[in-house]
Amino acid sequence: MNAALSQRETIFVEEAEILAHDAHPGDQYTLRLQAPQIAARALPGSFVHLTVNAQRPMRRPISIMRVDAQKGYVDLLYKVFGEGTALLAQNGIGDTLNLMGPIGKPFEFHADKKRPLLIGGGVGMPPMIFCADVLRQDTNYQPFVILGSEVPFPFQSQPSEFMVPGMPGGVIAAMPLIEQWNIPSRLTSTQGYPGCHDGYVTDLARHWLDSLADEERHEVEIFSCGPHPMLEAVARLAKEYDLPCQVSLEEFMACAVGGCAGCVVQVQTEQGPAMKRVCVDGPVFDAYAVF
Amino acid sequence: MNHDELELLRTDFCGMDFQTPLVLLSGCVGFGEEYTRVVGYSNRDVGAVCLKGTTLEPRLGNPPHRIFETPMGMLNAIGLQNPGSRQVVDTILPELDFAETRFIANLSGSTLEEYVEVARIFDDSPIDAMEINISCPNVKEGGVTFGNDPEMSARVVAACRAVTDKPLITKLSPNQTDIADNARRCIEAGTDGFAVINTLMGMAVDIESRSPVIGNNQGGLSGPAIKPIALLKVHQVYQVAREHGIPIIGQGGVNSAEDAIEFLIAGASAVGVGTALFYDPLICAKINAGIVAYMNRHGLANVAQITGSLRLNDAGGSCS
Repeated sequence: MNAALSQRETIFVEEAEILAHDAHPGDQYTLRLQAPQIAARALPGSFVHLTVNAQRPMRRPISIMRVDAQKGYVDLLYKVFGEGTALLAQNGIGDTLNLMGPIGKPFEFHADKKRPLLIGGGVGMPPMIFCADVLRQDTNYQPFVILGSEVPFPFQSQPSEFMVPGMPGGVIAAMPLIEQWNIPSRLTSTQGYPGCHDGYVTDLARHWLDSLADEERHEVEIFSCGPHPMLEAVARLAKEYDLPCQVSLEEFMACAVGGCAGCVVQVQTEQGPAMKRVCVDGPVFDAYAVF
Repeated sequence: MNHDELELLRTDFCGMDFQTPLVLLSGCVGFGEEYTRVVGYSNRDVGAVCLKGTTLEPRLGNPPHRIFETPMGMLNAIGLQNPGSRQVVDTILPELDFAETRFIANLSGSTLEEYVEVARIFDDSPIDAMEINISCPNVKEGGVTFGNDPEMSARVVAACRAVTDKPLITKLSPNQTDIADNARRCIEAGTDGFAVINTLMGMAVDIESRSPVIGNNQGGLSGPAIKPIALLKVHQVYQVAREHGIPIIGQGGVNSAEDAIEFLIAGASAVGVGTALFYDPLICAKINAGIVAYMNRHGLANVAQITGSLRLNDAGGSCS
């Protein structure tokens, strides 16, 4: 059956009021928007396609970091990258943005993979935070979160209360929100931020994987979002340890509903190479098909 | 809108009953179903939907990046990614709801023979009409290399005409010297209608890498930036087409009811909407309402009364 036919009326268009818009170092911003229809339906990996400003009509796709279905808001994190996001940053509390969402194929968790390893880099952190928020509600899962950034993290890190096997000495910095959720996390950067691992997310992931017993390692599935080179390295690591791995990709996007085929990525399928649309065939893909 | 207001929008195009004069443009709306994902969107808001450009065999299309925003517009170079005409006819068309709107195939190819074969395959299908895409700027062979040569354009149209009685709409390129001459040749070759215009060739450069942003290096420019060019081209083609009763879908940067009405006045019988859907997926209902309001304000009973009602300034020159 035509995939689109089974997905009629799944993307909502909402005039969303800005409830909070906070600047962080490194040109990063967190944005809270009142969008109850989208908040009620979004899943980890979903994104919104939003207007940034009346003078710049093309929308921008931005991953959802958190939702509160009761209060009807969605939280986003973005970094000023070009003219569109620079205009987005000029909006204030009370302004409205037009949102389409939730869009995209979400991350899928598997009950037999009880140890999800969530790896987020830069503005790829939000979908990992959303994953953690969902996983904490199911006691079957024991996730571990690794976040990396080359600009200051958009939150004040804190020393983790959780012992994590395999962590090098002094690697204690964690994301407070994830700590509150009783999920261990660690931070990495090559910028020398205190308590962070001095290196790459994949270094820390390797330390952790090596510390696990074989039967524990078989329960690991990797979920990741971040810059392309980081995802490539994560996919290599997954292959090396023979672990399943899902990655969330980004690409310039026009329609975000599958109509224009502007946002494709080349993937390997059983029938050979194919171009898949990041917006509706993804943004979450099997890392083995992409890399 | 009430029933009577909706009836104001109903119009004929190449013998097809269009419930509104709006046509969703090829390449913007996939194979007809994609936008129905959006709550509030309906194919019933448009007279027809042009399906994505279809070639004989499947094509992967161009490498990323395929799109890039430019001032009041965007570049695209998709490269005719499609599953091939057989697949479209066998698996996609059966799932389209032809009660919702008219569906128009977009015939694309690298050779004359390929256009003909694709036309033959769609002729034996429920498709309502076919648009001959001799203006795609993003493929190395066929496309605009045919469309910029009036002789070759006419040969493609004549060859497709020979294998189908379904309405044939020829999509003309703005990237040519004399669009009116090309239109004349296509009418002689048997086209039933025109789509004016396709995108204009353009480029954007990343100043850090010093490479074109678009993977294909060049792309087609669409959006409000090209509207004035499209309007003039519609007016020019209309000068030729009206004598033969050949209708035009006017397209290029339509983003409001006012834009659509401009195209109708310039000579279009229907109006294409493409890039504007990316801005607002619910725009068609708004454009329809704006056209109805205009018609009521001017006491017009049907859209055809607007077509070609342009009053040129006496002091101005001819627009050729």
